[in-house]
Amino acid sequence: MTVLFRAMWTAFRRLLADKAARATMLLSIILYSGIYPQPYVSEVVRDVPVAVVDQDGSSASRDLIRRIDATDSVAVVAALPTLPDAQALFFAREVSGGVVIPPDFERELLDGNPSPIAVYGDAGYFLIYSAISTAVSSAAGDLGAEVQYERLTAAGVDPGVAMAMVSPVAISSIALFNPQGGYASYVVPAAFVLILQQTLLMGIGVLHAGRRADRWIDAIAAPLVYILLYGLWIAVTQILLPFAYGIERLGSWEQLYALAIPFLLAVTALGFVMAQLAPSREAMVFTLVVMGVPLFFISGISWPVESMPKPLWAIAALIPSTTAITAFVRVDQMGSGLAAVSGTIVWQLVLAAGYTLAALLLRARGRPLRACPPEVRSR
Amino acid sequence: MSASSDRGIWRVFRQEVRQIASRRALFVLLVPYPLLLLFVLTATFHQEVPTGLPVAVVDQDGSTMSRQIVRMIDETPDLAVVAKLPDLSEARKALVSNEVYGIVMIPPEMERDLLASKRPEIVVFHNSQMLTVGGIVARAAGAALGSFAAGVSIELRESQGQTAEEAEAGVNPIPVRQSPLFNPALDYTQFLLASSMPSVLQIFICASAVLAISRERRDRGGMARFVADGGCAWRALIGKLAPYGMIYLVMLWGADAIVFGYFGAPFRGDPVLYLLCSLLFVSACLSLGAFLGLVSESPLIGLGYAGILTAPAFGFVGISFPRMAMNGFALAWGAALPLTPYLQLRIDQAVRGADAAMSLPALGWLVALWGLYGGLALLLVRRQARPHEISAGELSG
Repeated sequence: MTVLFRAMWTAFRRLLADKAARATMLLSIILYSGIYPQPYVSEVVRDVPVAVVDQDGSSASRDLIRRIDATDSVAVVAALPTLPDAQALFFAREVSGGVVIPPDFERELLDGNPSPIAVYGDAGYFLIYSAISTAVSSAAGDLGAEVQYERLTAAGVDPGVAMAMVSPVAISSIALFNPQGGYASYVVPAAFVLILQQTLLMGIGVLHAGRRADRWIDAIAAPLVYILLYGLWIAVTQILLPFAYGIERLGSWEQLYALAIPFLLAVTALGFVMAQLAPSREAMVFTLVVMGVPLFFISGISWPVESMPKPLWAIAALIPSTTAITAFVRVDQMGSGLAAVSGTIVWQLVLAAGYTLAALLLRARGRPLRACPPEVRSR
Repeated sequence: MSASSDRGIWRVFRQEVRQIASRRALFVLLVPYPLLLLFVLTATFHQEVPTGLPVAVVDQDGSTMSRQIVRMIDETPDLAVVAKLPDLSEARKALVSNEVYGIVMIPPEMERDLLASKRPEIVVFHNSQMLTVGGIVARAAGAALGSFAAGVSIELRESQGQTAEEAEAGVNPIPVRQSPLFNPALDYTQFLLASSMPSVLQIFICASAVLAISRERRDRGGMARFVADGGCAWRALIGKLAPYGMIYLVMLWGADAIVFGYFGAPFRGDPVLYLLCSLLFVSACLSLGAFLGLVSESPLIGLGYAGILTAPAFGFVGISFPRMAMNGFALAWGAALPLTPYLQLRIDQAVRGADAAMSLPALGWLVALWGLYGGLALLLVRRQARPHEISAGELSG
């Protein structure tokens, strides 16, 4: 046992002695923890600037504009006489959308005729477009319902019946988990699972790719050290970081580690397989650094797995993050408990076993590619 | 080094092409690998709009009307009712297992209450932890329930003596005509695919430039030899980076060919301006990569810098989460990356067809980044090529 501990201590010192490994497995995670969540700290989009073109100029149209402006998500920043004026502001990126209220808006509304309005926004920016569209629809719906209710009651309909005629069922929409629809709460916990995987794989690449095989005891000690180190990073990125950024956590730490340990086993084993296949340390790091964005999308956190080609997803599932990202989010953010992610835990263990076997076979084949630089060899 | 004709951009360019061609691993990373990743992204978003998203219903009423509601939700193209569950706790289990993204809950006595003008409440629960998918489910289920409610409202009005026309108008007094500009189908290929492909390529370009430049710094005097081959520092740099520029320009255009050709989005911009912007983007990224390669003591450290700067870039560009909602730090970080002005220019000059004048600020911004990183790279190459400063440069990193 002391032999193992000594070997682990050596592996840890080797990690600390290598500047690139230190930068990858220690510094980068601290940096990412500070940098990565920054775009999203405000969580939601507020006061998206829109222009209005009020061709009616009536009290009803002004009421509607006031209601649109009063929503959290949209702010009316310009009132313009014509649509081309609004378009000019839009192309100059001073407003993100526009609302057009046609002439006779009020008259048609009070006469009980359909009185349409138009809303414009760049649908290439989904969050902005949906903020504008939702705000305008809800303002128009509220105003319309009030006008209708007043018309009906004025005509002598019983208020309760009038209410039921305007809106026969109450439709509520309730967000389960992440109730304010925060972007940081959605993207940060998921992204850090991927960041841990990528930096761990890169670190193994930096320390082991293209290197002659170690003694057996070192081959056991090094992975153990990385798993312990990353066990610590799991606590930092999945417990401390959500706390620091006010992201809700519903799962317990025991559940988190019941998932995290199989995940780290799978990633570490994959790292050693890659390290033995990679022609050089640079090639392995290069391969990994460009992979992040596709791996994030394929995890199903932002684009549904149901809408991906099945074979593609099945191949991608060989990479631990593909199934692990949503599992972490379910355990941590949705408080799903372990039963809901048992399939993923088993799969991570299968991957860990498979990659360990592959790494051992590759090691037995032996392929000394490049001698260790002297500074790493010295103890 | 006999004749001056054997120096210059062309010489360095040929040397670099030979390097790439002779190293199989490098070639695989530069050409087939980015193509593979672009293919993976394209395949991922191939469906363009998610359809048939699984939802569960908890129908505690079991009436004709509640069955009609379930049918209407199932018939919405965005949704598919995959489970009818007896209570909310069962449905919640399905939701946390990711079997469904939403739950529609119809209370007991819904039909009776509705007929008695008691306004029963129907609740749509959606998984907001998966923000985009949850949002689609909430919107689609809300729309299906809305049209059910409209139908009921029309019947009620007609029973109160309104004409069909009056009833129709009364249900939706202020129809909102939605104009989702430049992406009428709310298509994810236009939104996520079109912007994530340049994000991935930005990492490739910077990382390739890091590796290319680092190779010249491997031995003492390497940089002096490199500059001598090129005739001067800027010729050497251009010759060195041009092969990568060509490869990635073609990839960048290929990525847009997928968006505008294969997925058939209309190209509204000025092709010349668009080509100019993409050329500037690739040049700026190469300059950034070269600069990072020149300040780091080893290729691995240089790749690390490139990774930390460019790998999270997609979050900072303001496509998925808008820049208007970001803090100062995030705005500045995004502004330092060529991708941010490039994607703005790409939208202006390929998607929106904006006036060239509207794009001048972003164009100036991209040129400034190119000038900054290119200028710094040039200075560093000159300094490191001076014989007496090579060792000092290597030590200070």
